[in-house]
Amino acid sequence: MITLVLVSILTFFIVQVLPGDPALLMLGTEGTPEVYARLRNEMGLERPLLERYLRWLLSFLQGQWGNSWRYSMPVRGLVARAFPLSLSLAFLAVGVALLVATPAGMFMAAKPRSFAARFMSVTTLVGLGLPQFWVGLLLIQVFAVSLGLLPAGGGSSPVSLLLPTLTLAIPRAAILSRFMRVGMADALKQDYIRTAKAKGVAEGTLFFKHALRNGSLAAFTVAGLQFAQLLAGTIVVEQVFGLPGVGQLLLNGVFQRDLPVVQAVVMVIVFLILLFDLAFDLGLGVLDPRIRYE
Amino acid sequence: MYKRMLFSVVVAMITILLVGGPGLAQVLNIAIPQDPDSFDPVKTVAAATGEVAFNIYEGLVKATPQGEVEGALATHWTINDTGTVYTFYLREAFFHDGTPVTLDDVVSALNRARDPKIAVRAGELSMIKDVHPIETGVQIELHEPNGAFIYTLAEVYASIYPAHALDLARRPVGTGPYQLQEWVPNQGLELRRFDQHWSGKIPYFEQANFMIIPDENSMVLNLKAGRVNLIPRLEVAVLHQVENDPNLVILSSPMNLVQVFSINNARPPFDDLRVRKALALGTNREEILHGAAWGRGTLLDSALSPSMASFYNDSLHEVYPYDPQRAKELLEEAGQEDLQLVLTLPANYPLHVQAGELVAEQWKALGIQVDLQIVEWGTWLERVYTQRDYDVSVIGLAGRLDPHAILVRYTTGNSRNFFNFSNTRYDELIRLGLKTVGSERREVYLEAQEILAQELPGVFIMDPPQIAAMTRGVQGFKNYPTYVVDVASLYK
Repeated sequence: MITLVLVSILTFFIVQVLPGDPALLMLGTEGTPEVYARLRNEMGLERPLLERYLRWLLSFLQGQWGNSWRYSMPVRGLVARAFPLSLSLAFLAVGVALLVATPAGMFMAAKPRSFAARFMSVTTLVGLGLPQFWVGLLLIQVFAVSLGLLPAGGGSSPVSLLLPTLTLAIPRAAILSRFMRVGMADALKQDYIRTAKAKGVAEGTLFFKHALRNGSLAAFTVAGLQFAQLLAGTIVVEQVFGLPGVGQLLLNGVFQRDLPVVQAVVMVIVFLILLFDLAFDLGLGVLDPRIRYE
Repeated sequence: MYKRMLFSVVVAMITILLVGGPGLAQVLNIAIPQDPDSFDPVKTVAAATGEVAFNIYEGLVKATPQGEVEGALATHWTINDTGTVYTFYLREAFFHDGTPVTLDDVVSALNRARDPKIAVRAGELSMIKDVHPIETGVQIELHEPNGAFIYTLAEVYASIYPAHALDLARRPVGTGPYQLQEWVPNQGLELRRFDQHWSGKIPYFEQANFMIIPDENSMVLNLKAGRVNLIPRLEVAVLHQVENDPNLVILSSPMNLVQVFSINNARPPFDDLRVRKALALGTNREEILHGAAWGRGTLLDSALSPSMASFYNDSLHEVYPYDPQRAKELLEEAGQEDLQLVLTLPANYPLHVQAGELVAEQWKALGIQVDLQIVEWGTWLERVYTQRDYDVSVIGLAGRLDPHAILVRYTTGNSRNFFNFSNTRYDELIRLGLKTVGSERREVYLEAQEILAQELPGVFIMDPPQIAAMTRGVQGFKNYPTYVVDVASLYK
């Protein structure tokens, strides 16, 4: 709660401090002082800062999020449309990343000296180094332009989320598999594994049952962080694929100094992250009983 | 058993494809970088709105690709002898909601457009004294004769909509060949053909989607992948990606935008004409044209673009040709051998930033110390445009249908005159231009342009290229001197 209030104050004042006036930005090189004055008045920019903040807070709490200055649409509608897309994209991307990274990381830990493991290790480095916009454009070029298999963008159908999901998943899978490998390798060196081995526990059980739970902790924690980060939208990928997600909404909001939109979007992001954080902590407790809350 | 089922499924799918294919609605997908702001004609200020709204709204008259106006909701009009009363004769037409266009609708829309309490651009219609209905049409009375008036009626703000429309900003109701079906910000707008258009002509495309794609590279990839059929305004920087593609057609034409290095005429030493002259003489515009616009633009010597053919003064090429030697001499004469200046560039326009970087090198060769300052658009508008706190900057000024709307910017005390330019004869000419008609009006504006070319509110560089890229097969693309995409003229 305190976090939310603090964030709301911070966002509100940061947007104020930014150079560039929302009314000026709307008028561009055709503005005149009369038009400018009226626009500012309509936006309520003539009132004192504190009064504006309190007014905003009050109506926000009452569920009245006002109209966007840029799109002359209710902010709630804009937010309600952008978040489902970004949420599903975040979920898919981290999901795919985990699906790829878990077996890959496990394999690299189990057979560290094999050729395949070395190859994978190098691949993850490459995956880490690729800039996202480039990966996105490359995927469009291959799958949409050359092969004509998948749509080049747009967020209208589930199929069109495939390429953006892949773009987001590649670097995340690379990171996760490295965490997975380190975690597993570490777990396999633990005393309890040696004890288990000495007691004659089968290799497979040892690996999948005893080591996996401990070894995957780090990777899951990182996956959680990745998910939280993706909740705030993915500006680059949304731009490249023309997806109307949170990132675009926020970016345009900041560029146009569209305060009602920026403010609402940031609040929802922070709220979701706090919510997710709580859920994640509880979930981690299931995986690792040592950090369960009393 | 399985085989037979599989077989029937495949047959069914092929049948659907064959039967469904040709019968599908004709859809055109157009890529634009930005959303409109509002579809309320008197509230909108974004250029992106006009681009789409041209297909939805119509005024009494509308613009033609040649930059003239022709009757739209008015079949024709007459002007009285003193040039102060225009009578418009309405045609039978219907709004998108099915109601007929009435005299009341026209009068109320025009009155709303000139009401300074409501309309953002009310000032541009301030020449109107009164609008009243007569039996056969609408009479508009002006305070005094005004040559620019008829062109203002073709602007978005003078669109006609029903007096009973409630939420124009989001649900526009016009008379145009297309109506807005859906608008999802950051994604796109869906337009549907309006079958009751007064012209009786049915546009080829049943549906037109304006898709918002901010990144120019993905715009191009989408065009190549066939998801987009038309990019009306392609960034010159990605031109090479489409130029040699046999499946695409590229059309290049002037944009009716004037790129100018604005000079702060009120700030010493730039108030000295010799210094401004030196900057003009020291500017190699040919090099800027090639370096910043790949040689695709049109060089300019005036504040008007050559696309305004009936008013453009094409005799000004030799006023200040590139002559760095003469430029140095002038700086010496003015005692400004050690001139220092700050060149402010708007970061969001790569064309202007590149032009600025090129000119900086050219001016440095004259011995001027040029400090480049690249600023965000919001800062540019505040510092350069509003506070006029700058030495030299560069910007593109959008053209209009009528020269007055463009040239009045350079008159003394005009609020859009961020050049701080002031010239008595020029002010006189602009006043005169409004009152004159016919070929005399042209003479007035030719002289006005000559003054700008000589007295240098800034250094005029080029009209950048407007490049439209479309899939082969899309035909009928019309380029307008205003910022519009005419969907109704397109076919396949």
